[in-house]
Amino acid sequence: MTTAADPLPAVRLEKVGVRFQLPAERIVSFKEYVLRRLSGRIGHRELWALRELDLDVHTGETLGVIGRNGAGKSTLLKVISRVLRPTSGRVVVRGRTAPLLELGAGFHFDLTGRENVFLNATLFGYSRDLVARNLDAIVAFAELEDFIDLPIRNYSNGMLARLGFAVATQFRPDILILDEILAVGDTGFQEKCLDRIERFRDQGTSILLVSHDLDRVAESCERVAWIEHGRLVALGPPAEILDRYRRGFAAAAS
Amino acid sequence: MQQTREQAEASGTSLREARAASVNRELPVYDSAKQPHPFLEEWQELWRYRDLVFQWSGRNIKLRYKRSALGVLWTLLEPLMLMLILTVVFSTVFRPMEAFPVYLLAGLILFDFFNRSTLLIVEEIIVSQSLAERVHVPRSAFAVAAVLTYLTHWAIAHVPLIAIMIYFGRPFSWSLLSLPFGMLLAAMFALGVGLVVATLGAFFHDIRLTYQVLLTGWFYATPVIYPLDVVPEHLQVYFRLNPMYLLLRLVRLPVYDGVMPSAGLWAAGFAVSFSTLMIGWWTFTRWRNAFDYRS
Repeated sequence: MTTAADPLPAVRLEKVGVRFQLPAERIVSFKEYVLRRLSGRIGHRELWALRELDLDVHTGETLGVIGRNGAGKSTLLKVISRVLRPTSGRVVVRGRTAPLLELGAGFHFDLTGRENVFLNATLFGYSRDLVARNLDAIVAFAELEDFIDLPIRNYSNGMLARLGFAVATQFRPDILILDEILAVGDTGFQEKCLDRIERFRDQGTSILLVSHDLDRVAESCERVAWIEHGRLVALGPPAEILDRYRRGFAAAAS
Repeated sequence: MQQTREQAEASGTSLREARAASVNRELPVYDSAKQPHPFLEEWQELWRYRDLVFQWSGRNIKLRYKRSALGVLWTLLEPLMLMLILTVVFSTVFRPMEAFPVYLLAGLILFDFFNRSTLLIVEEIIVSQSLAERVHVPRSAFAVAAVLTYLTHWAIAHVPLIAIMIYFGRPFSWSLLSLPFGMLLAAMFALGVGLVVATLGAFFHDIRLTYQVLLTGWFYATPVIYPLDVVPEHLQVYFRLNPMYLLLRLVRLPVYDGVMPSAGLWAAGFAVSFSTLMIGWWTFTRWRNAFDYRS
């Protein structure tokens, strides 16, 4: 069932490769660059963060992505959220993505909560009008009605996180990208966040969850993709993949 | 939620399929294989993020005023004080020019705009790099916002300029209405130059300092604090080739001389500004990806 071809996947990656060019030495001055260029001493080391990766995220599913540090998980998320363009292959994303990686992007401490909501939301590509119409709902969700016109330098970390989460999730995305465990505010608010994500899921949002917490992956995902050295090692039901992954670790340890 | 689940159970399909069926299929699609050339893609994305441009320049203006006690007044005082100092110094060096402060201030506020906006572009492009590594955002939006920020300051600086025009009894003519167009050309030119310097600046740390020195040189090489006719005649042709002098004449003729710049001057100004903008846009969009993959 899970491997059946999906005619309209939320995300489709076809033989995706992403190459980084790491300078062999760090050249930071223009003078140095010119001198080295003239003497022909400019080296690059190539690193393929993703290679020939084929992967579909079905509409409405929660897909877990596991792998060791440096396996290419973050690069995968970046390619899907359009932060990076693939060097080779093709990425098709149907609908709007919301990465919950960067809560409160562009926040400035000298500006009020209200001003920051507009900055943060337009940075995610929402129009000013849309934000203005939803401002009350955002503020209410963040539980900051009494503080919204104060500069956010007076906010606690919990308040900042609540505001960031409220803006990022005010509008239901088609693809939600979650990196590691969401720790937003106190337990009460945390539950509210999870409820909201759960509601998105029931309305057809696909979720990509990258986590090192294998138990959480097992409990919330329908499928799991295991990535190693930029390649897809295995894809399938959580129980099977996680079991292989754990055994792989045990083998490596012994 | 419950409803979807019930439907799924009733029809015997999987929950996932039921969810998928409930999703609107008319969604915007991003296909990396069908993306236009970065030159056009950046433009499309900038248009989509146009509200960010206004929010971001609004932020820059608010922050500037929140930090200084004099607020908006400071924007007006700064060029005026520089004008006073330069008037005192230079009217003793050069032969006296009629209504010299008007002549001077018109040029000072152009250079003030150009210096500040291009330097802010360089700074914003470098600062936004870490943001753009995590969020999809057209970084040209920050560059356009930088220009818009100082375009606003430049517009406000016309209040004291008009005040001293009245003081010195300069003629007011319809040609003043052409000022916004001259300013727009200067904005295009600044954006183009800023993007080139910012692109280089993202690779090399010494570019910014070099550019600052260059700006000072450029200021003195442009007839801002002196009239062109103090320059030896055989050198004047080179001074006329300076694009900043071209733009300066477009915004100073209506203010100081009370005349409309000629059609030829407008055409030259447009050609220079537009081609500089295209070069800047090309440079930025061509190399923008290169910094992303360097990490």
